[in-house]
Amino acid sequence: MTKLPIKISAKNVDVFYGAAHAIKSVDVEIADKMVTSFIGPSGCGKSTFLRCINRMNDTIDVCRVTGDIMIDMEDIYDRRVDPVQLRAKVGMVFQKPNPFPKSIYDNVAYGPKIHGMARNKLELDEIVEKSLRRAALWNEAKDRLQEPGTGLSGGQQQRLCIARAVATEPEVLLMDEPCSALDPIATAQIEQLIDELRSSYCVVIVTHSMAQASRVSDRTAFFHLGELVEYGYTSHIFTNPSDKRTESYITGRIG
Amino acid sequence: MNLYHSKIHRSLLVKDARTQQRNNAELRFRAYGLTAVSVGIVALVILLVSIFTSGMTAFQQTKLQVTLELPEAKLDKKGQRDLVAMKKVTTIGYFKVLGDGLIAQLERLGVETGLKAKEVREILSKESAATLRNAVLADPSLIGSTVTMEFLANGRIDGYFKGRVDRASAQLDKNVEPGQLDIADALAERRLMYTRFNFNFILAPDASDQRPEAAGLGVAILGSIYMMLVVLFVALPVGVAASIYLEEFAPKNRLTDVIEVNISNLAAVPSIVYGILGLAIFINMAQFNQSSPLVGGLVLTLMTLPRIIIPARAALKSVPPSIRDAALGVGASRMQTVLHHVLPLAAPGILTGVIIGLGQALGETAPLLLIGMVAFVREYPAAFTSDSGLFGEASTALPVQVFNWTQRADPSFVERASGAIIVLLVFLLIMNALAIFLRRRYERRW
Repeated sequence: MTKLPIKISAKNVDVFYGAAHAIKSVDVEIADKMVTSFIGPSGCGKSTFLRCINRMNDTIDVCRVTGDIMIDMEDIYDRRVDPVQLRAKVGMVFQKPNPFPKSIYDNVAYGPKIHGMARNKLELDEIVEKSLRRAALWNEAKDRLQEPGTGLSGGQQQRLCIARAVATEPEVLLMDEPCSALDPIATAQIEQLIDELRSSYCVVIVTHSMAQASRVSDRTAFFHLGELVEYGYTSHIFTNPSDKRTESYITGRIG
Repeated sequence: MNLYHSKIHRSLLVKDARTQQRNNAELRFRAYGLTAVSVGIVALVILLVSIFTSGMTAFQQTKLQVTLELPEAKLDKKGQRDLVAMKKVTTIGYFKVLGDGLIAQLERLGVETGLKAKEVREILSKESAATLRNAVLADPSLIGSTVTMEFLANGRIDGYFKGRVDRASAQLDKNVEPGQLDIADALAERRLMYTRFNFNFILAPDASDQRPEAAGLGVAILGSIYMMLVVLFVALPVGVAASIYLEEFAPKNRLTDVIEVNISNLAAVPSIVYGILGLAIFINMAQFNQSSPLVGGLVLTLMTLPRIIIPARAALKSVPPSIRDAALGVGASRMQTVLHHVLPLAAPGILTGVIIGLGQALGETAPLLLIGMVAFVREYPAAFTSDSGLFGEASTALPVQVFNWTQRADPSFVERASGAIIVLLVFLLIMNALAIFLRRRYERRW
């Protein structure tokens, strides 16, 4: 692999849910300004690993993470790190579109508001517009900013969630199967959007669809039973996998 | 292959035995359900009909108009209109004056009575002398003039107009003479005796055993309102804070499990136990005033807390976790997540729990008996005095007043008790309607 600026690096990461060993000694380095996808069968730990990167797993009592995860060479599990600040820097988009039951405007403005990113209403308006434009939702939403976000279609809701995530100006964008609840047309729109986001963010996407991984990502990591089996250029993984398990998975024999 | 085919070739137009059996079972089940609901509705209707038939009359009261002279010789012998001296004339004196006035009025009207003066006088309520005395003391210039005033009729006369007393029963009753009923008829004919809406039933304080016609719910309603305020302002914040902490922040361990089980247990503790607890803690230890709405409210708060916490936790739990993820995902703290997103969504459910809890507290009697709220109270309790503090004056409460009246000897109190139950039901209805209204409003915002 060519040398690219490394944004996230994980070393020896293990995750336990109570007694269950969900992630086994994962080492991975994720480059900036790129789309990296995690693939693997259900329950392989790819979502769990993703949720370690912004410490969403903290909310689960029985979950325990060991090892080091560094973002910009800083250990995010360091005692001095406040997960609230971390999550402003590492945005997340979830599997099911989950807009707040508030207006479209409030959905996007909420993050900047609580982080004090706007000094007045005008600045906030600007942030909202910029975020909605970045999420390719501005044209559809500009005339209905005060309508509830839950009234949008599924694909629009997911783009609203992306707008909400980018509104806090994160550097990393985590996407946990963002298209699994969407129809093919909405999926295509989101994928196009991911392609555009690549230039500004370090995007990590978990997906069940190998086709999607090959379409949108530069690099792909294959997880199986909590282990990172193979990690490399997407084209390489899908055409010439070096591990037997990867090959079985992408050809449809396991998973 | 052939065998298999012949076996499954069945017409769909004919029900097989198994399907028939299942359909029958379903029909039976529906019949059971319908029966249960019908029994419930019938019981409710019987309850309401019996309460309303015996209680609605409490909202009407028989009164009579008397035009009488107020002789100075009897009411203010010194003629100085000195209030201190005038107060020496008791209600007994006034009752005589009033009775004489009534007898004179009957003579003017040409009504033959054939009764003793004492018996004629007793058409009037014992309360009427106090009514007259208060009017005279409030305006001493009335003395010496002729006034026309409205007085309460005796409870038995009132019962006659409401169908509770007739001549046959009056014959057997030593408290009322058939002749008195004749006078009542004669006065009613001349529109000097009539039944009117009974504002005093809602506004006036309780009255003694001998004057059921004057008894009202004023003090009880005030006491109940004070207690509900105490419950609302103590139980709501404490209950909601406790449920938020337990649901959103507390670690899941042995201790929180124990707390959780015990909250459920507390909800099932008989309410009289809370009365004993309140007696020990609030009256004996904290030295709060006995019979005061403050103590009553605090006891009811203890009783209501678990009944608020349980539904509030259920409401918080029912907020989809995706909302919490979304808020945490954009970097909200846990507190912000709860206050900005989870609590507003859970609010309708929490509100319903709170109002149902308040409703239960409003109807609760047993614990109040133990802290002395069953006392006979004639004075309206003040919300605050420097002596007794906030809600510290002796009071009674609606359900206790019902309990109280059902124990009194005079049959007129049966009507009063049922009337009080109607008032209590109206309050409960208002609260439930409020709950539904607030819930609808809140839900529409999302």
